[in-house]
Amino acid sequence: MLNIPPPEILLQLSINGALGGAMYGVAAVGLSLIFGTMRLIFLAQGAMIILAAYFVRALFYGLGIDPFLSLLIVVPVGLGVGWLIYQGLFRRAAAEEDRNISLLIAVGLMFLVQNLMTVVWGGNTAAVVTTYTASGIELLGVRTSFTRSMGFLIALAGTGLVVLFLRGTLVGKAVRAASEDMEAATLMGISPHRVNAIAFAIGISLAGAAGVAVATTFPFNPFAGFIFSLKALVALALGGIGNVAGALAGGIILGLIEAYVQYFISGGWTNAIAYGVFLAVLMFKPEGLFSRPYKKA
Amino acid sequence: MSARMLNWIAALGVAALALAAFLPGAVDSYAFSFLFFVFLYAIMAQAWNLVAGFGGQVSLGNHAFFGLGAYTTAILWSGNYLWGSLYDAYPRIYYFDPVTMALGGLVAALAAVIIGLPLLSKLRGDYFALGTLGFGEIVKVVLINGGDFTGGAFGVVAPAGTFDTLLPHYLVGLGLMVGVALALRLLMRSRYGLALIAVRDDEMAASANGIDTLKVKVAAFAGSAFIAGVAGSLYTYYIFHVGPDSVFDLNWMLLPLMMTVVGGTGTLFGPILGAFVMYAVFDLARIAVPDYHPVISGLTIILAMLFLPKGLMRVRGRRVA
Amino acid sequence: MANRLLEVSDLDVAYGDVGALWGVSIHVDPGTIVAIVGANGAGKTTLMKAISGLVRPKRGEIRLGGASLVGRAPEEIARMGIAHVPEGRGLFRQMTVLENLELGAFQPKARPRLQQSLEKAYALFPRLRERAHQKAGSLSGGEQQMLAIARATMSDPALLILDEPSLGLSPLVVQQMFALIQTLHGQGVTILLVEQNIHQALKVADHGFVLKTGELAMQGSGAELLADPEIQKAYMGVLE
Repeated sequence: MLNIPPPEILLQLSINGALGGAMYGVAAVGLSLIFGTMRLIFLAQGAMIILAAYFVRALFYGLGIDPFLSLLIVVPVGLGVGWLIYQGLFRRAAAEEDRNISLLIAVGLMFLVQNLMTVVWGGNTAAVVTTYTASGIELLGVRTSFTRSMGFLIALAGTGLVVLFLRGTLVGKAVRAASEDMEAATLMGISPHRVNAIAFAIGISLAGAAGVAVATTFPFNPFAGFIFSLKALVALALGGIGNVAGALAGGIILGLIEAYVQYFISGGWTNAIAYGVFLAVLMFKPEGLFSRPYKKA
Repeated sequence: MSARMLNWIAALGVAALALAAFLPGAVDSYAFSFLFFVFLYAIMAQAWNLVAGFGGQVSLGNHAFFGLGAYTTAILWSGNYLWGSLYDAYPRIYYFDPVTMALGGLVAALAAVIIGLPLLSKLRGDYFALGTLGFGEIVKVVLINGGDFTGGAFGVVAPAGTFDTLLPHYLVGLGLMVGVALALRLLMRSRYGLALIAVRDDEMAASANGIDTLKVKVAAFAGSAFIAGVAGSLYTYYIFHVGPDSVFDLNWMLLPLMMTVVGGTGTLFGPILGAFVMYAVFDLARIAVPDYHPVISGLTIILAMLFLPKGLMRVRGRRVA
Repeated sequence: MANRLLEVSDLDVAYGDVGALWGVSIHVDPGTIVAIVGANGAGKTTLMKAISGLVRPKRGEIRLGGASLVGRAPEEIARMGIAHVPEGRGLFRQMTVLENLELGAFQPKARPRLQQSLEKAYALFPRLRERAHQKAGSLSGGEQQMLAIARATMSDPALLILDEPSLGLSPLVVQQMFALIQTLHGQGVTILLVEQNIHQALKVADHGFVLKTGELAMQGSGAELLADPEIQKAYMGVLE
């Protein structure tokens, strides 16, 4: 226990942890956006990520489209699917006072998607294997996986685009305004359904981007999404609910914690410890590590 | 239908179900084991109803409490470990030992208090649903890593392996279902029940009126966990082998949730009615379309929420509680 | 009747125990300042919320320039030309002053004029230009109220509703605020003003309505109401 590993190992752990954690982060950014306007923790986010991963796999093996190139398809499709999910499933419930209705619809959607995937693709583990799956690149003097590094870039780019949208466009500002105070936003002529649908569209398209990262990096199965939702939630709590950039940072921190736990303790305990961190953050720093005070509308 | 009439119908129904058990041949019939599972699910549904329907906090972790109750019972029952002389001093009533069942509930309730405190405090309530959902996964991981004590990935096997008749299971199940419903009825008419409803309907106002909202919510969550733990205990007496994948199956959370939603959340008869109706639907689906029946559960929740958000018991705009 | 801007007739609103409305009728003519006064809980805020669509009336009619507002969503009513500065101001505190102003011009017909409206608002409230890139939540109470009003003018509304603009402000700032309301009036803005500061409100108002426990108790020109002995007894006594 006492022997401290050499710095190369620590650096290796940190880089791998950060790269993996960015994927939780991008899932958490979607959760954060949807939570912002709808006050709903969208439990089905992980299932949507896995659905996107299966879609990427189908595009690759069926049509020969490179997984990273398929971002150009998955992200716009995600925008459309998110829009449709809101209009079809959540629009009516969003008008209700009782938020539990939306929450239960999300639960239902999660189980529906999981089980549909099982029916269509079977319950076994699937993977996308390309010529570059096993290749590595040099990063800060450490050899690391090419696909993981690409996943990190996707997460960074996705979050960056969302932040640009939220800060740089009037519609993005309307989404932020609605997240802060929906009633005041409607008095500006902002339609709640419109901002909710936008949040959903972006959230699901981020799930699509995360799906590309997952498909190229990990083997996956229809039920892998659940643990992904859970980790995204931990990332969200670490970053502070409602803080989009914080969500990505929270994911990276979670990835680091996992990498260290795996190395120093045991792989079997990573999920339990990640969850313990989650409870501890809620207990002692509920506004998140980056300390933007959480304000309810 | 007046509430009074409904009570009479319920009482008659319970009497008929109890008497039916003694009809010749009933014990061996399919209906008998079907009803046992209806009772089990109705108890689980009622547990969820307490925290979500009356308390307004959507728990997605009741399978964890079910599993904890089941494990507690199996470990105590097998008694081959740790307890030594303490266990020997205790007279062993193998089936439905009330102390063991109550301990199953208590362990679950204790776990609920431990995770309820961080998850239910004011600012963090939004995390509750997903936080409780994660809890089930974590308890499973802990039990798998629990070594000999929890039997690792295989689980714990109870010392007795068979039963000759399902009659005691049936009667205990029926008794617990009725007992839980009566207890909730008393509870919801007490000062505590009023406080719980007040917190659900307007937490700010409740807190302004001097109600300790965190205490009330955690107590409802722990009560729900207790009921779920007892249900897990009951299941152990039926299944004998308690394994991490079987008792922490998400269906132990999902199906009761759906039954409550369909029957009517926040009503006393809704969860029972929902358990009867939905278990029948699922049993039929299992027989008719075995490959697709898990899909139906997700679809049912969505459709129920879209078209029947208040449940069967409130279709006519009336609330029976 | 035909040239009335806002016409509320026989309005019933159920809204908890306090603040319900029973058969209230008011009207606002274009280019005027109309004050709604009354004690706390008389239903003033409820009336404003009913007009801007935040609460749904049980019965009665609300018309803006002849078009019915009942049953419409608040965002739709905002686009029809009502800018409502709610009690508590409704600022987006985490966003900058400039962003708040931009959102005031969110509706499609206001967007092309964003720059002109912004210049106009800055001319009226020079302080806001200095603080353009500060968070709205970091402003003083008076500045926040100015921002809320400036934001509401960004859409060049047909009717500006101000709910308790003087609440929580120091007497000096209250003076500035009422001066501002008169400036806006001079620019042709129609204003519906809710105030507990009855004396000040009736002094600037062309017309006033007095609400008492959810019902219309009295109405008349600002000067008439100011001179009314009952008003003086019931409300002014407390203030002076």
